[in-house]
Amino acid sequence: MPFLKDIKYSLHVAVHPFDGFWDLKYENKGKLRMAAGILFALTLTMIVKRQYVGYVVNYNHPLELNSINELKYIVFPFLLWCLANWSLTTLMDGEGKFKEIVITTGYALLPLILVNIPNILLSNMITLREASFYYLLDSLATLWFLWLLFIGTMTVHQYTVLKTITTMLLTLAVVGIIIFLGLLFFNLIQQIVSFVYTIYQELSLRG
Amino acid sequence: MRIKSAMLVLLSVLLLACLCSRPAEAAPYDGYTYSYWGEAVRSPIAYLPSRAITGLEAGTGAWTAPGDLFVSPEGLLYVLDSGNGRIVVLDQEWTTVRVIAGFRNGGKDERFNNPEGLFVTKEGRIYVADTENRRLVELDSAGRFIREIGAPKADVIGDNFEYFPRKVIVDKAGRIYVVGRGVYEGLIEFDNDGQFTGFMGTNRVQFDPVDLFWKSVSTKEQREKMVQFIPLEFNNADADEDGFIYTTTVDKKTFSPVKRLNPSGIDVLRVNGETAPIGDLSLERSAFVDIDVVPSGVYRTLDATRGRIFTYNEDGNLLYVIGQLGSQLGTFKNPAAVESYGNAIYVLDRDLGRITEFKVTRFGSMVNEANQLYSSGKHNEAARLWQEVLKLDANYEMAYVGIGKSLLRQGEYKEAMKYLKLGNDREYYSKALGKYRREYMREHFSVYMTGIIVVLLGGAAAVRLVKRPRQKGVVRDAVS
Repeated sequence: MPFLKDIKYSLHVAVHPFDGFWDLKYENKGKLRMAAGILFALTLTMIVKRQYVGYVVNYNHPLELNSINELKYIVFPFLLWCLANWSLTTLMDGEGKFKEIVITTGYALLPLILVNIPNILLSNMITLREASFYYLLDSLATLWFLWLLFIGTMTVHQYTVLKTITTMLLTLAVVGIIIFLGLLFFNLIQQIVSFVYTIYQELSLRG
Repeated sequence: MRIKSAMLVLLSVLLLACLCSRPAEAAPYDGYTYSYWGEAVRSPIAYLPSRAITGLEAGTGAWTAPGDLFVSPEGLLYVLDSGNGRIVVLDQEWTTVRVIAGFRNGGKDERFNNPEGLFVTKEGRIYVADTENRRLVELDSAGRFIREIGAPKADVIGDNFEYFPRKVIVDKAGRIYVVGRGVYEGLIEFDNDGQFTGFMGTNRVQFDPVDLFWKSVSTKEQREKMVQFIPLEFNNADADEDGFIYTTTVDKKTFSPVKRLNPSGIDVLRVNGETAPIGDLSLERSAFVDIDVVPSGVYRTLDATRGRIFTYNEDGNLLYVIGQLGSQLGTFKNPAAVESYGNAIYVLDRDLGRITEFKVTRFGSMVNEANQLYSSGKHNEAARLWQEVLKLDANYEMAYVGIGKSLLRQGEYKEAMKYLKLGNDREYYSKALGKYRREYMREHFSVYMTGIIVVLLGGAAAVRLVKRPRQKGVVRDAVS
């Protein structure tokens, strides 16, 4: 069963990142559909988490929950990160292709799912005093994810440790620039649209 | 034909329905409270305006810019008619009992000059902050002069100290506290004999990190021209029956406009909810100009921004909001003082020279009573009333918390969790959850333990089954 094999391999990556990411790049073991699957599963997990995490640690206003938001918080940042990382590393002679970056980042997200699901179950059984365990697990998941992302970036681009760290920080800066340009673009488009619309209105009212 | 007559009946019924005044329209303002999430939610109205009186109606001539109001324990209303420099005393039927226009001080007739504050002790002694005359005047209940207390004298007070007493309160021990105009050091405290003993309860200096940054990078000359960081002055005060002093600060930026000072001047106000008692949670913040302490720890603050009276319980939870700026009965132009007596609230309007009386509604009295039982620890009796409150207002979060706590004491942990969650009380929810969890585990221990053992055994067996053929394979490989 290839699907089971993929899952097994992604788990392998999570616990043996050096080995796993190497295979991912040079043995073509990473699958794009698996990365997309992990991203999708993470989105689902986050939706479930916001809704069903124990009341003691759940500070979400139930009326303001919206599953579409997860696109904003997960899928969009994911794509932005890949794009920014790719644009940057092509200039900084990284060896990774765009596809490899997407797969690496996708596989690195797995710990978030692995920790979140038991954490949601746990959070429903804990009291306020034990809530720190929940937060501990939560931050452990994030650290694990960052660790995988770091190793992944290093392996895919064949960078040194220091260069990987600088690249990751610079990627964040590039993400900022992309967002800025995007907003600028949309703002300008909006103004053009409203300008054209005003002219249309003017003409139609006079005509 | 039948349709036509049916239509006619329907129309007339609709017309009648339009004509019938609905009780909600009787109130010139909306009732609301704030939810846990800081959203204003509709709530039944707790107090309704019942009547109002001006100086003309009281037969004393119009009151000009009355500055303060006091209701004595016997229910007498003392109105400080600042513009005319006199005190008007009304009884509960609002007939004028007495007008104190002046007093004889050592053979001389004296008058008040624009007094701003008034306090009446349990014995009926009247204290007046005679602002422009820079003194306190103590009169007996008939308006005869007893003594006057002038500006505080001490080494700590500089020569350029401007003394304009604005408000005065007297605690149970006879200590006198004065709110002075432009006095940042706190309340001016006099002892029984009128000797200055010190300042009390200074507000902390508030500063902006941004201002601090600019101050640190600017030159000395620039710094001297900048606004100084000075503590905020109090603008009103009230004393409760235990001798604690409640003060208000008018500043719109502070998040602690209300303070409850203990005898050594330390703020001991309890804030249990998500937000401190700051009035409205909108961008344009409330500015408290008066505070009134009701027995059982409830206090009301009067907001000058929107003319609203916020009532909080001793935990700092908002109970209800009444009043508004406007021109109808029950709304104000420039509210100056709030007082309560029995089940009525009195608000003095400075610009209109008018007192408005608000009478408690069924909802208001239920909340008051439930809160009183609740704060005195009678949780079960309170819970019964909270249930009634919920029938009128399903948004009333305090009621859910009250019922939840009562259920928690009765050992109904699961129900308690439900109510505490509705009331958004995480702390007590967590307590209930802990107890429920223990109870649940005690009951279902055998089931879960059996389950775990079965799973473990099954897992071990499965692992063995999976591993065996592989081991054989390994062996075979080794042999071949």
